[in-house]
Amino acid sequence: MNVITDFLQNSVNKYPDKIALVTSTQKYTYKELFKSVKSFSSYFTKFPANSVISLFFENSADFIISYLGTLHASCIAHILPIIISDENLVKQIESAEPKMIITTKQFIKKIEKIEKKNIEKFDVNEIPTDYNSNVKRKPVPENISYLLYTSGTTTFPKGVPVTHQNCVFTTKNIIKILNYSENDVNIIPLPLYHSFGLGCFHTSIYTGATLILHRNATDISELSNSIKNNSASTLALVPANLTKILHDPKDGILDSLSRLRLVITNTTSIPTDTVKEYRKILKDGNFATYYGLTEASRSTFMIFVKAGKENSIGMPASGVELKLVDDKNNIGDKGEIWIRGRNVIKKYWKNPEADKNIVDGWLKTGDLGFRDSDGYLYLTGRVDNVINVSGEKVIPEEIERIVKILSGVEEAVAIGMSHEIYGKVVKLFVKKTSDSKIKKSEIITHFIKNLERYKVPAIVEFVDEFPRTEYGKIKRFMLQ
Amino acid sequence: MNLEEEVEKIFFEAFPTLKESQFDWNKKQKDYENWDSFAQLNLITLAESKFDINLTLDESISITSAKELLECVKSHL
Repeated sequence: MNVITDFLQNSVNKYPDKIALVTSTQKYTYKELFKSVKSFSSYFTKFPANSVISLFFENSADFIISYLGTLHASCIAHILPIIISDENLVKQIESAEPKMIITTKQFIKKIEKIEKKNIEKFDVNEIPTDYNSNVKRKPVPENISYLLYTSGTTTFPKGVPVTHQNCVFTTKNIIKILNYSENDVNIIPLPLYHSFGLGCFHTSIYTGATLILHRNATDISELSNSIKNNSASTLALVPANLTKILHDPKDGILDSLSRLRLVITNTTSIPTDTVKEYRKILKDGNFATYYGLTEASRSTFMIFVKAGKENSIGMPASGVELKLVDDKNNIGDKGEIWIRGRNVIKKYWKNPEADKNIVDGWLKTGDLGFRDSDGYLYLTGRVDNVINVSGEKVIPEEIERIVKILSGVEEAVAIGMSHEIYGKVVKLFVKKTSDSKIKKSEIITHFIKNLERYKVPAIVEFVDEFPRTEYGKIKRFMLQ
Repeated sequence: MNLEEEVEKIFFEAFPTLKESQFDWNKKQKDYENWDSFAQLNLITLAESKFDINLTLDESISITSAKELLECVKSHL
């Protein structure tokens, strides 16, 4: 299989009558899904190959058919997050320059606000499926398959064009490392507009498995029933949802989870206790995570088997090279993570400035990490976030991790603040839990006990909420 | 807890290895094992957060003993 559309074609050939997709309202066999994709894609062939089609959907069968239909017509699927602000929506559309935007009745008003000319805007139900097209074409591995914009915690989001060959390589690695097969029933409550969710979807259709697609993971009861009723074998969830389940294990969710062969999550920091708990809950199943960026999807994998490695992001996937480069450009066991491999994009979308981060195929990730004596990798923070306190380097993520140990602290962000004597000092913003009575002095004392003196924040400020991107990440630069 | 006791407590929190017998209101910065510029910053941050006050930069760098910190805090309350 060389392109994403082969995934579906191959599964149709092997398992035509098998259930490919289940949503809250619809079910599709592979044959039915393929038929819908083909008829849907015919309309897109009126555009030249490699035209951009923007998709604005919640998790749904419509999204999947539109996405695969776009690729089937050799076009590029620009996937928009439904939580995007009006301002960023306009910016993304200006950057992506789509020929067409497709959405549902629910969101059509938001799309109609876009004033850019020469873009067709469609409710998905109004796309002609009987369009008479004689154009026969198929994407090639080097073609861009989808375009996602990164979250942009420091700048305007960068367009990341992922080719079919990037995606095929990554999907094969996921399947091989995590043992996905046609026997799996995969529950995905992750947004498909995010690289994590989209990757899980690719895996499911590649293997000819059954995908149970949920709109989100907020309803624990629904998730629990879905695992039982569908005899599911795998579940993909972000760490925040995994921790939430542990805090509120209702409606038999722990029993449901114990039946799974795999729970996969991603690398937003997972509390050590969460990892330990899931290892216990899963009994014979595996708990795993991966590290990757949209630009270099699934670069490392970690299956949590060994005690003492709960904070690790694992080891590089097969065919992925990874090196740690310090600020003097020396390669060692500590520094910025650079990645090279067929999962890494060649360049960004119309962004020469961002392209400077890709040198000889090596993507400078901006993530800092280290490798332990057994070769396991760990993330420590972001290069951009490092705070220089009187020549001493402070990684804000370390400060944030330490303060979160305290009960009463829900979330925290550390930034650098100019100081006449020290150049920079650490300023910490803390969001307390609703019932918290924690005092600033208690936080400072906790830091003095647990950190080097130069890392102790000079200012602690309580906040009600943090400014966030459409993807829920905190916009650090807005706190400066 | 009175003000003196509060300020004394700040010293034990800022210098976790400091023993009770080693505390002296007039003991100077140079006589403390760990009182470097970063410890100075920790000390001021603790005092500011505990008493909800803001010390000026000049005040912050001029404090060289527990007694001076106590006087400085008093002047802000």
